[in-house]
Amino acid sequence: MSLPNISRVSASGLLRSSCDLRWLLRSVAPLAAPRRALTHMGYRRPGQPREDRPPWWRVKFDLAKGLKGMKRHFKLLKEEFFAPFVGPMGKPIIEHMLEQNQVLWEFRGPHSLQEWTISCDREIGGKSEIYLKVGRNNESCLLYGTLCSDPPKDGETRYSGYCTMRSKQPLASFDRKKYHDWSSFNTLHLRVRGDGRPWMINIVPETYYTHQKDDMYSYFLYTRGGPYWQDVKIPFSKFFLAHRGRIQDDQHPVWLDKINSIGFTLGDKADGPFQLEIDFIGVCKDYAHTEDFAYEKYKRNPEV
Amino acid sequence: MAPPIYSALIISLGLGTTMTFASTHWYLAWMGIEINTLAIIPLMAQNHIPRAIEATTKYFFVQATASATLLFAGISNAFLTGQWDITYTPYTLTSTLITLALAMKIGLAPLHSWMPEVMQGLNLLTGLILSTWQKLAPLYLIYQIQPNNPNIFIALGLLSIIVGGWGGFNQVQLRKILAYSSIAHLGWMILILSFSPPLALLTIIIYILMTFSLFSSFMLTRTTHINSLSTTWAKIPILTVSTPLILLSLGGLPPLTGFMPKWMILQELTKQSLCPLATMAALSSLFSLYFYLRLSYAMTLTMPPNNPAGTLPWRLNPRHNTLPLALTTTSTICLLPMTPAIMSLMPF
Repeated sequence: MSLPNISRVSASGLLRSSCDLRWLLRSVAPLAAPRRALTHMGYRRPGQPREDRPPWWRVKFDLAKGLKGMKRHFKLLKEEFFAPFVGPMGKPIIEHMLEQNQVLWEFRGPHSLQEWTISCDREIGGKSEIYLKVGRNNESCLLYGTLCSDPPKDGETRYSGYCTMRSKQPLASFDRKKYHDWSSFNTLHLRVRGDGRPWMINIVPETYYTHQKDDMYSYFLYTRGGPYWQDVKIPFSKFFLAHRGRIQDDQHPVWLDKINSIGFTLGDKADGPFQLEIDFIGVCKDYAHTEDFAYEKYKRNPEV
Repeated sequence: MAPPIYSALIISLGLGTTMTFASTHWYLAWMGIEINTLAIIPLMAQNHIPRAIEATTKYFFVQATASATLLFAGISNAFLTGQWDITYTPYTLTSTLITLALAMKIGLAPLHSWMPEVMQGLNLLTGLILSTWQKLAPLYLIYQIQPNNPNIFIALGLLSIIVGGWGGFNQVQLRKILAYSSIAHLGWMILILSFSPPLALLTIIIYILMTFSLFSSFMLTRTTHINSLSTTWAKIPILTVSTPLILLSLGGLPPLTGFMPKWMILQELTKQSLCPLATMAALSSLFSLYFYLRLSYAMTLTMPPNNPAGTLPWRLNPRHNTLPLALTTTSTICLLPMTPAIMSLMPF
């Protein structure tokens, strides 16, 4: 294959043709590389379909949908404006101060599943499956599926086998990020019915630096397999810091004033079906629990 | 932090402010401010937790931007006037730029957005240094520049009073409340600066006394949230009596000390035939008073929802030095009758 002839252009010629940059680009574009979509950023996994459509083809322009969206956002903005007149976070101060328990997510119908998203290793080429549906009598939600630890055969992934359910980021008007403020509470309270598998609860707070975006605070949820419901109370002081699943040496307690999401992950390398039923997820203030942090803070450079 | 390093940083903090106080040249004043900024950065970041590092980074960016603007304005002033004297700023452009840079340094509205987030990420001691000591050098420079047109000071001051009150309206985190309180009080100070600089000095001194006593109270009780205020009575009962008085003093209620600067400022504004401005400032401070009252209510008039006798932690530390708190609390509560004496000492 011969290389294309790159014609030399004089300076005056460049000035004349400065408006027509396509001419200039055409001469230096590689011949053998396939044409990639303009918005295809990053690595494409083998087996994933190639996305070659330009972005304006993927957006569905709909006036009715746009008007509905604007109406929703302005309604949220109005609520946000008038909420401070009631009290912090829209609740009277006395209610805010006296509350000891707050139910954050209560699964009582299909609408409650919209705040959650599920994911498994199928995204990286694995074979696990995960589904989320409303439980019996609309009294709970059921997270179920099949775990498979076989790594995808793409030559680069060595480990696989995870399923996760995560709450979506709360959004204020005009899709601005909003955070959960759990600083009045010190314990996570769940009512679950599992199948005996050990799950991991992950809390993802708001971070500032890009290298902190995979930081999460995790703890274990050991489920009993029986037909009875299980009340689990985990103090926030027990949550330890992990980055991309790796536990960090420099530990500190989780700051509860800006929480983005909470999630449940299963990755116990036991292939087979699983299920987890959740009644509610809430937070509570346990005055008897006075521990600030459960782990010794590791000093990497101890003073001698 | 190792004691020698800690001492060096504290001494640098003092050195920076003192250098600015002693300077008449823009370069030296700017250098003092930079030393101040750089000395507090390690103090803010000494806890290696993400929120503290985030607060430090945000603080650094804001202060560096303001310092660069200040230096540019100083150099422009020197270029236009031919001299580096701080007090000689005849051109509106340079004096406005200097004012805005210094306003950003101290967190006046509309350049205040960084302050609550930075305060929230720090511990109470560092927050105290940020609210009090770090304001002195920029305020001194604002005091010196004496712009021709006081309208910018009036605009900054009034906006800060309104924003400081409105912003703290919905807060439950004590450090953010203190940040908004700082913004509001600096607004009062800036408002009167062009009319009566000694009154501005009085305001900042009384503000430092009140803020120091409030921060010290919160440090003793280890409270950073409004909910934990309700359990103060079981920790240190005397603070449950004195802290609401400090809060009401911050709100400017007579017969407490905090009423003194507000009273004098309103009187001065009235003498300058600025009654609408005085009315607006007084009405805007009602927002601040509301959240101070809310804190007082949470501390003294609410009981936690369970019996705290056997379950609350006793955090009494017998080695903690409470003398500064005692002195500043007494000053915060009892100095109003000495107003005539203080006014006679003021160099009007």
